[in-house]
Amino acid sequence: MKAAAVAAVATAFAWLLLRAESQTSISLLLLLAVAAGVAAARLRFRLSGPSVLAFAAVAVLALLLREDDFSLLLLTRILIVVVACLGLNVQFGYAGVVNFAGASFFGVGGYTAAILAPRLPHLLVLLLGGAAAALVGSILILPVLRTRGHYAALVTIAFALLFRTFLEVNDTLGGPQGLKLPELVIGPFHFNDPVFDASFYLRYVALGLVLAALALGVVQRLERSWIGVALDAVRLDEIAAASFGLSIARWKIAAFTIGNFITGVAGALSAFMIGFIAPNNYAFSESLILVSILLLGGIGNPWGLALASAIVIVLPEKLQTIQEYRFLIFAAVVILILLFRPAGLLPRPLRRLKT
Amino acid sequence: MRFAAVALIALLSFAARAKETVRIAFIGPLTGGNSAIGLGGRNSADLAVRLRNADAKAKYTYDLVVLDDECKPDAGVQMATKAGSDRTIVGGVTNYCSVVAMAAVDTYHRFGLPVIVWGAVLPDITYKNDFKEVHRVNGTMINQNQTNAKFMSEHGYKNVAIIHDTTDYGKGHDKYFTQFFTQSGGKIAGDFGVTADQQDFTAELTQLKGLKPDALYFGGLTPIGVRIRAQMDKLGLGVQFDGTSGIVNDDFIKALGPNAEGALAFREGAPAEKLAHGKEFLEQYNKQGYTQPPEAYGPFAYAAAVLLMDAIEKAGPDRKKIIAQLSPAHVKDVESIVGKITFDDHGQNTVPVITKYVVQDGKWVMWEDSEYASGKRKLAK
Amino acid sequence: MALLGQYAMNGAMLGMMYALVAVGFTLFFGVLDVIQFSHGDVVAAGAFAGLLAYAALSFFGVHAPGVLLLAVILAAALATIVVGVLVARFLVLPIKGAPQLNVLLVTLMMGTVVRECIRLFFPNGSQPQRFPALLPSSGWNLGAFYLRFDNVILLTCGGLLIAATHLLITRTRLGLAIRAVAQDEETARTMGIDFKRVVLVTFALGSVLAAFAGVMDGLYYNEVFFGMGLLLGVIGFAAAILGGLGNLYGAIVGGFLFAALQTVGAVALPFASAYKDVFAFGVVIVLMAVRPTGLIGERVSERV
Repeated sequence: MKAAAVAAVATAFAWLLLRAESQTSISLLLLLAVAAGVAAARLRFRLSGPSVLAFAAVAVLALLLREDDFSLLLLTRILIVVVACLGLNVQFGYAGVVNFAGASFFGVGGYTAAILAPRLPHLLVLLLGGAAAALVGSILILPVLRTRGHYAALVTIAFALLFRTFLEVNDTLGGPQGLKLPELVIGPFHFNDPVFDASFYLRYVALGLVLAALALGVVQRLERSWIGVALDAVRLDEIAAASFGLSIARWKIAAFTIGNFITGVAGALSAFMIGFIAPNNYAFSESLILVSILLLGGIGNPWGLALASAIVIVLPEKLQTIQEYRFLIFAAVVILILLFRPAGLLPRPLRRLKT
Repeated sequence: MRFAAVALIALLSFAARAKETVRIAFIGPLTGGNSAIGLGGRNSADLAVRLRNADAKAKYTYDLVVLDDECKPDAGVQMATKAGSDRTIVGGVTNYCSVVAMAAVDTYHRFGLPVIVWGAVLPDITYKNDFKEVHRVNGTMINQNQTNAKFMSEHGYKNVAIIHDTTDYGKGHDKYFTQFFTQSGGKIAGDFGVTADQQDFTAELTQLKGLKPDALYFGGLTPIGVRIRAQMDKLGLGVQFDGTSGIVNDDFIKALGPNAEGALAFREGAPAEKLAHGKEFLEQYNKQGYTQPPEAYGPFAYAAAVLLMDAIEKAGPDRKKIIAQLSPAHVKDVESIVGKITFDDHGQNTVPVITKYVVQDGKWVMWEDSEYASGKRKLAK
Repeated sequence: MALLGQYAMNGAMLGMMYALVAVGFTLFFGVLDVIQFSHGDVVAAGAFAGLLAYAALSFFGVHAPGVLLLAVILAAALATIVVGVLVARFLVLPIKGAPQLNVLLVTLMMGTVVRECIRLFFPNGSQPQRFPALLPSSGWNLGAFYLRFDNVILLTCGGLLIAATHLLITRTRLGLAIRAVAQDEETARTMGIDFKRVVLVTFALGSVLAAFAGVMDGLYYNEVFFGMGLLLGVIGFAAAILGGLGNLYGAIVGGFLFAALQTVGAVALPFASAYKDVFAFGVVIVLMAVRPTGLIGERVSERV
């Protein structure tokens, strides 16, 4: 009941914020949100409820916004980023494998989609986007497995820089001019046709919701299973885990591959929705934004990263007056949050093992 | 009842005095490496709007909605959707980065939003599709390189080495210059692609030095143009520096100092300072106290904004009517601060003029007026 | 042959700059076990502060290159010390206990803050700025090899600076304290070492090296750019890691190695020199697979 009420309030708030135009109303809404957040933290407000509620809330929001293309585009982007971050979450949050090349794997998915879309059914293309990301990731498995901490960070950072430069100087993949994608068609649905009188983005929202639900399902199932326990053990203490007979390498490889697969699928969907991809979208700075979302939300907690994705995507759009100061303010806000809430906005709750 | 009548009269008289507000969008890169040009473009479009709003004869009051495309296609499509789906926005002055423009034209078309591109130079933006919504005031890189290649071969350069950045801008320039220069009998000694954020070019320049070219063609923008020209000096490579529209700005000279002397560059359109309106533009721009200079493409953004507002004045704030008003039938020899504007079937300004520039005593001087043309000074060999 | 000399010289200049930055990374890691990722942008801050000093002095009619150079270096050092120590005091020390990842992200974001501040608040900062040539620009022309005096001077000074740092670390009481903290913070504290002070001094020291790298970059390229620190930071970090974190020699080796990779990449891939960074970073990844703790390995003992 409490959860349903919160979902309803959150939906109403999101609707108001997305529709708000004037700077005063936006500022007021944001202040309200911050106040509510602080109050919730003070009162140690804990929320638990079925995840279906959250998806229902997003669906309702999308229907409320059915004619507002831009808001729906933002909504889909949030869902896509949530999916991508869920992938990273498996790596960072569960197995403790750092990956500073999230945008690169997102990009592998996007480029795979652009190349295969004219030839294959698009549902398959989405999956192949993920598979390609997992495959490219396997090149990095050896160095990622052998290194730790900052050394592992370097491996993925080097890959992120290498990937972007490679895309730019390579002509066969469109070079800096990028590639255009055809319209997304799945079964009878042509995604660029309007849905009755409403925006064609509704279909993308729906697909985004499905993907997010699937990704969340996989990630939660993983966390709650003995695999999740094994991953936690590997992250928290490799040596102890090894002495209990866990194969560290196997779990790290599994987490890295699953994570990249999920991120790659998100990248493929993103490429379809934008209809155009270019190396600029997959720069190292984009990977950093993904990692910031993960840390801001609270590593290991899917709901935290959903909240953080929404903030990171919507806020800059709504604060148009700060224009060229956006990055400066974004960076400063991230620093402040991490200084005062080092575990993120919604930290991962401790595992409650049933006896 | 009487009160209502009074209120109605007051309202009517107010409506008669107050003009209807019309919103137009400006889209360009306001953050990141290309932000200098983006901010210059924004200020110039803003200037056009301010001047129009100060003009009592204008039918409408204009409101410029400024959007940042970050020079990234996804952000560009997002901003195009924002402008396109907002029915109160009737037109746009859009895009400096070609890659963003390429990504966004579909969106403009989908929403039927008339736009005038103010800086992106890739030919495909107007020519690849047949979108009635998309227009462009600046020329493409084709015209510019034709003139450049002809100029170089006429001045006795036979063996030219190329450095270009690997963005669409640099690659396009590389392609068209190579094409026109080899057609006129020249030889390309070597062709180096470099990334747009590269710092050190000594390895490329050392290699290039071994090829013994008699000039270096550079296809790219100011930041790395400056680095390459400065590092040529460090390596004792004294060949002629031949640039593109991307370096025609004061920053190129400021950042290089005396090293800039003698550098060549070509740009579409007549120079603003040569035209009556252009001088006025520069004066007004300085009067407004913007913190950034207009840069090379500011005048184009200004001209695009003026053209768009002229069309709105004539056709009214309706997207379809504005598109009709921007058709080739109506846009023919329109006077602007970048010379006459004539749209072809693809909404492309056919810009007959390419201006040749050379740096002389710390200024970009039109070639014809320079001491280099009169023979008093000589280009490097 | 002369061409080879030119390549070697270019590579050496690059390597020296990378090494100076990498030594900073490795020093910070030594005392605090953290990566100070805004270090690259501290370099840029130094270069721009030097530029401001130059502009101010020229405005007041000072034109002696020696005086100007000294002022540029002092201003750069001052600025980097201020930024470096502030970062250490207010960003890194308070979250020392937090996960590595937090420190990494906080300092990365701090780098963005510094970079954006230069872009937005330095006059016309989004465009490249001319950096004055304050060293003699003459040189010997040996065929294809143009050996310039300023390059020789910069290289020598950089080498001396690194040597001085080395002496400071190995031969002085301060160095002893730094090494003690690096080895074991708790023990160092119980021995009466003021931990916080040592950390701040180390950050100041690393930042001074960054200041010199910034000025060197400016004098070498005669141009500085608000984003120059981004790649320099990543490369400095890569160099420090390649060599093995916490090891001074490792950082130097890593710096020169990376420069060599870039130069070789550009030469070995004729007309495809744009791939040189792909090549260099590719080799880095391979090297990490082969030597997961760097070339001169950091000694790690597993505590079970």
